[in-house]
Formats: sequence, structure tokens, C-alpha cells
Amino acid sequence: MSDNDSTSSNLNCKLGMKSILPIFRCLNSLERNVEKCKIFTRSDKCKVVIEFFCRHGIRRTHNVCFQESQPLQVIFEKSMCSNTLVIQPRVLAEAIVLFTSSQEEVTLAVTPLSVCLKSSSDEPVDLTSSVYSEMFVGPDEFDFFQIGVDSEITFCFKELKGILTFSEATHAPIAIHFDFPGKPMALSIDDMLLEANFILATLADEPSRASSPQSLCLSQKQKRSEPLSSNSEAGKNVTSKAPECILRKVAPKRLYPKETLTDVSALENCGSPIMKRANGDRSEVSESSVSDTEEVPGSPYLRKFSCMFFGAVSSDQQERFNHPFDSLATASDSEEDMNDGSFSTF
Amino acid sequence: MKFRAKIVDTACLNHFTRVSNMIAKLAKTCTLRISPDKLNFILSDKVANGGVSMWCELEQENFFSEFQMEGVSAENNEIYLELTSENLSRALKTAQNARALKIKLTNKHFPCLTVSIELLSVSNSSRVVTHDIPIRVIPRKLWKDLQEPTVPDADVSIYLPVLKTMKSIVEKMKNISNHLIIEANLNGELNLKIETELVCVTTHFKDLGNPPSASEDASQARNPEQMAEVRIDIRRLLQFLAGQQVNPTKAVCNIMSNKIVHFDLLHEDVSLQYFIPAFS
Repeated sequence: MSDNDSTSSNLNCKLGMKSILPIFRCLNSLERNVEKCKIFTRSDKCKVVIEFFCRHGIRRTHNVCFQESQPLQVIFEKSMCSNTLVIQPRVLAEAIVLFTSSQEEVTLAVTPLSVCLKSSSDEPVDLTSSVYSEMFVGPDEFDFFQIGVDSEITFCFKELKGILTFSEATHAPIAIHFDFPGKPMALSIDDMLLEANFILATLADEPSRASSPQSLCLSQKQKRSEPLSSNSEAGKNVTSKAPECILRKVAPKRLYPKETLTDVSALENCGSPIMKRANGDRSEVSESSVSDTEEVPGSPYLRKFSCMFFGAVSSDQQERFNHPFDSLATASDSEEDMNDGSFSTF
Repeated sequence: MKFRAKIVDTACLNHFTRVSNMIAKLAKTCTLRISPDKLNFILSDKVANGGVSMWCELEQENFFSEFQMEGVSAENNEIYLELTSENLSRALKTAQNARALKIKLTNKHFPCLTVSIELLSVSNSSRVVTHDIPIRVIPRKLWKDLQEPTVPDADVSIYLPVLKTMKSIVEKMKNISNHLIIEANLNGELNLKIETELVCVTTHFKDLGNPPSASEDASQARNPEQMAEVRIDIRRLLQFLAGQQVNPTKAVCNIMSNKIVHFDLLHEDVSLQYFIPAFS
């Protein structure tokens, strides 16, 4: 495709979480017994091999099948966002308990003087509707507080919870980069060992629409590993990136056309990237058409939604800090009808 | 109609939270009655509840440092609200280390009970959390169904054993049968019985003690060994027991043979009455 995967060290693939998780589940027993772990791929057999060299000469090997995949690439320059907040995960965790798990979306409203996390405002009509909650956090609770523009963004609550669980494991502060509603936001965690960026779509302002727009969250998680000190057996540089793309879809329990509903539910479990159409006047984001081997909905989403756009992640560690993510035109097996959309440009 | 109250004492706040948690376990939707001296959580005996009813009463001055209310009218100086109990208990859960908690009746886009909590965070700055709990105001014509239930004269009154023990026994019995017979006598003995085609299981509690009877004649006339029994739905009993997280200060069970079992509990200063009718 592009020069990115010309070298054999770049393998873009996906592994089932159900396959990987049980292998690394028991931290205690791993720490006690495993002396060395070796992970390598055997592309001839489409397998990732995880070998544990344990005590007493025992060697445990796991072969996990992988699927080739084209990772989603994001064009998003977080340093160019007008608003940046850095907060300890614990503080966010305290805010999260306010909201019930039935909340699909949550709104973050910022002014230079205050930050408010609140339930996405719906019009509750009866007793069984959820409670509307809001929490004000003072600027001094943030490790870094820079608000360039007053803004209120609404995004997926489930994703936030997931990101928080992840960050609590690393104990590193979370940086939130965002602008105005409609433009994606980034939540980043930068630890010594890894950097994770979660790009979430935010709900665009839609004054004309009576019913609520669909909410969609796509996130991309990228990890890079530090070079291991010596790994002569591996024979290659372990710092090559293996971007992981996690694509999850939240199907809101709201009214929207039936055909999109079935498409949505079909996609929910297969993790395929979803084709989105953005309105021309939406924002200066570009559309991209990504399709995988699974079904992509033929009918356009009628609701407006902010688009995810993708760019390649630079494989060079230094470059990633300075350059925005490069864009990548992704190959599609089936040509999708693009509605005056423009492909992301290089 | 107005209502505005404030709690500043941590112990009072925790106690109120516990009461609210208990109510949330006992009834999904309940009525909150606000009067100048008291707060009541009420569940009236509708078919939907399986005939179960609940009356929980607390004196407002034991909890609130400030309490102002104005009822529907001067003669009917009360407010009856219907709410989802879990909403209140969840809102209070965030008030664990609060500096102050305020509750008030508001009407933002619809009637709400607004719980506003001032938290003291680690960095010493104040955090304000607000929850708007949707409620429904109950019109005056329905108030008559929500009055304090009259307790009929019981055939037997007995003190209950440790509720946690009772709960674990009833939980196991639930797997065997849907109905449970609760019987007790004036000799301090209480039995929990289940009967199926294959098996009968009885758990005996002894030396429980009986509270002094209101009328001397009735208790003297009755043979102390004679059991008064009620057959009830086991799930209702289990729901009641599950709601009791802490062992109450006082727990009395009143049995009206084949009619109804009445539990009268006192948690510190909060009284709870729970009625489970006989299974017809």
C-alpha cells in the first residue's frame, strides 16, 4: 500500500481480545513463574506466538491467530486544540460515579473560570428517566488548565469510563484536548512506557433537528513500547509500532430510521470501521471511507455526526511529536459511494 | 408548595443515606411525604406490589439543621411526592464526605427534587455536585390511600432473631419453595417453614422473647405454646430482609393468623413498618 509497510517489521493485524486476555490474566502467577516472555509473529501461519520461559525449564507457548487489518488512521493535531486540561484520573473517577451506567453521553462545559461535567441534557418526562447530574470542578484541581474558548462538548460516556479504567492502571494524568462541539476531542495518557491517545467524536450542535442525533464513538489506541535493552534473540528492533485500533459503536436507544438501526447492530460486534458522511458545512474535517471485509451500511446515516478522520501514525518516535498524523488513503475492497466526499489528502 | 432542607452533620448525612439505601431496596417507586415535623417514605398496598405496604418515618429535626416546608395549602400542610427510590439513594451516595447537603423542591423543566452537595476535595477546593431527581407531585385526592396503616391486634408478637441469620436462611429456602410459613408463639419461639412434595424444612428459633402485650386479657387467654402462622410469598420476605443492612435497634414481628405479618423495626431513630399479606 504505502511505504509504511514495506519493511517486514511492520505488521498490521488484529488479535481477538478473548484470545489475548486469558494469556496475561494472572499477574501474580506470571510474576512468580515467568522469567522471560518472547513475542514474535509467524506471518506464514498468521500467528502471533507468545512464549513464556518459566522456572524449572518449563516453556509455555501460546499461538494466537491474527487477522490482517488496515488500521484506522486519525488526522488530529492535539497540540492545536484551544482547550487543554490535564487532570489526575482519580478526580475524573470521582466525577464518573455521579452518572448512571444508563447515561450514554456526558457533557463537558468549560469556561476560563470553571469546568462542569454534566449529564447530556435530554428532556426527561417521567419518574423513570434518569437523574440530571452535574459537577463543578475548580481550575485549581487540574494539573494544567488552559481554556482558549468557552465550549460545551458532548461525548460518549462509556468510552470515558473505559479510558479511565485504563488510566488508573498507569497512574498517569489524563490530558484532554478539545475545541468546539463537533470537532473531535483527544484524551491522552503519556506514561514512561506508553502513550495512549483516544480520539472521540463529539456531538455537533444541531439546533434544527428536533430529535437527537446519533452518537458514535470511535477510538483509536496507540501504544509504543520502549526499546528493550537487549534482545538478541529477537533480532530486530522492538520499537516498531503496532497500532491497535479499537472501534466500538454505541447504539443509542433513540429513534432513528430502521435501516440504519439494523446496520448499526450488525456492525456493533464485528468492529468494522463505519462509513460516515458529514455534511459539507460541518467543519473542516475530511471524510474518509474505510471499509473492511465486513458489511458497511449502504444507506447514509441521516443524522449528522462529526466525522472521524484518519491519518497514519508516523513510525518514527521523534517525528510523532512534531508532525500531525499523516493521512493515509485506505484501501477498500468494495468501492463505496461517496457523497461528494473528499478523501483525506496526503 | 415549597420545601428546602439542609444537612451539615456528617453522621446525620450518613444515617440519611443509609435510610435511603434501605428504602431503595424495599421499594422501586415510593411516596415521600413531607410534613412540618416528619419525613415519611410510603409504599401503599397495591396489587402491583403484591399487597405489600411500607411505612417509614423519621423526625426531621434529627437529621436536618434547616428545614422549611410549605404544603399544598394551610389546612393541608403536607407534600406528597412520588419518586424512584434508587435515584435518591444514588444521589446521596456521592455525598459521602460532603460538607453540606441541601435538598429542595424545584421546577426546572418539570418538578424535581434537587439535591445539591458541597464536597471538600483533596486540594481543599470546593466541588459542587447537583442532582435533579424527577418527581411527580401526588394530588390531594389520592392522599387517603397513603395514610399510616392501622396495626390490627396481633395474635402473637415476638422479637426477631438477628436479621442477617434470618436472611441467609430464607435465601436458601427460596431455592426450594415459593411460599414460606412464618409462625411464632408467646413462648419466644419462631419457626420458618417450607413444604414441598418432596421435602419439608423448618428452622427453629428459640428464646427470642415476646414484647409486653398491649391488652392483658388477650395474652393471658392465649395458650403460650400455640403457634400463630401466616403463609407468605418468600420473595417478599427476602426483599424485606435484604433491605436491612444494619441490625436494627429493635425488631418486632406481629402475626395475625392467616392474614398478615407485620414487621416493626426501629433503626436508631427511624421507624420502619412493613406488612406482608398472607398468600391467598
